[in-house]
Amino acid sequence: MRLSDIAIGVSMAMLALLLSYLIVYGGLGPIATLNLRPLAVSFLNYTYNPWKIVYSAMSPEAVTAIVWDFRGLDTYFETSVLFIAIVGLIALFRGANVVQGVSSKGLSIIVKTSTKLVAPLILVAGASLAFHGHLSPGGGFQGGSFMTVAMTLLAIAFSIEFFQQKKLTLNRLLAIRCIGLLAIVVVSVYLLVKAVLLGGYAYIFQNMPRINSQYSMPSWFLDRPLAGILFFFNLSESIAVIGGLTLGVVLLLLREEELKAIIGGGEHE
Amino acid sequence: MIVVSEMLPVIMAFVAALISIVATWLAVQERDMLIATLFSALQSTCYALIYYLLMAPDIVLVYLPVSVGILPLITIILIKKTERYEE
Repeated sequence: MRLSDIAIGVSMAMLALLLSYLIVYGGLGPIATLNLRPLAVSFLNYTYNPWKIVYSAMSPEAVTAIVWDFRGLDTYFETSVLFIAIVGLIALFRGANVVQGVSSKGLSIIVKTSTKLVAPLILVAGASLAFHGHLSPGGGFQGGSFMTVAMTLLAIAFSIEFFQQKKLTLNRLLAIRCIGLLAIVVVSVYLLVKAVLLGGYAYIFQNMPRINSQYSMPSWFLDRPLAGILFFFNLSESIAVIGGLTLGVVLLLLREEELKAIIGGGEHE
Repeated sequence: MIVVSEMLPVIMAFVAALISIVATWLAVQERDMLIATLFSALQSTCYALIYYLLMAPDIVLVYLPVSVGILPLITIILIKKTERYEE
C-alpha cells in the first residue's frame, strides 16, 4: 500500500515534468511566440476589418467574434445543453416553493454586512464583463456566472427567504431565464425576418452585411464598436445564465420542510 | 539560450501544476469532505493560474466563477444535506 502511494505520486510528478518539458521545448511551443500560425493570422485579419466588412465581425475581441459570429450555431447548441440540464433540475423539483419562517434568518450580522459590501461589487464586475464582452476578454456566460456567484452569496448569507421577500420568486427566476433564451432566438433570426418582410436575402446568425445580403446589425454605438449581434447575444446570455443558475442554486438550497411537500406528499402520483 | 525572464511564465505554470497535484492528492485522501472541497478549490485556483499563463483570459474568466465559486458551493450544499465525514 505504501509503495503504491509513492509510485502514484512519483508518476504524477513525472507527468507534470513531461508536460512542462513539452510546453517549453516541443508540442505547444514557447509561450507568446512572435510568429503567429496561419489560422491565428486569418482570425486576426477578419475579426475587426472595416475595409472588408463582408468577411468581418467588427469586434475587437477575437474570442467573442469566433464564439458568437464565426461559429454561432455551435455556441447556441452549447447554451441549450446547459439549459436543458437546468430543465431537468426544475422537473425534479416541480411544485416546490420557498416557505417563509422555516428556519433561521440567515447567517450572523458580520457575514451579512460583508456580503452587503461585496455582492454589489461582484454584480458590477460581472455586468461589465458581460456588457464589454465584445471589447475585452469576457462574455455572456462569464459575466452571468460572476453575477450568479453574488446571487448565491446573497442566498446563503440572507437565506433564500430573502429572495422571496424581494419578490424574486422561483417562477420569476424561471421567467428571467426564459426571457434571456427567447432574446437569443429573437436576435439570431432578426435579420432573416427583416429580409423576408422587406425582400432580399439574409442568414440566421448574420452579423454584418454579407455577400448577397445588405442587411446588418448596428456596428457602432456612438463612438464605440458595438459589434452587432455579439453585444445582444452577450446581454441575453448573461440574463439567461443569471436566471437559470440562480434558480438551480435556490432549488438545491431548499429546506427539508419544503421538500417534504413534494417528495412525501404523494399528491403528484 | 532562453533568458530567465522568458522562462518565468513556464516556471510559474510548473509550480502551479505541482501545487495542484498535491492539492488533488490531499483532496482524494481527506476524510472530512468539507476540507476536501477546499483542497479541490485550491487545485482549481492553480488551474486558473495555468490558463492565464497560457494566455487564455476568456477561459480564466469562465473557470474562476464556475470551479472556485459555484462548484464548491454546490458540493458544500450536498455535504450539508448528507454526511460530512467519510467512513
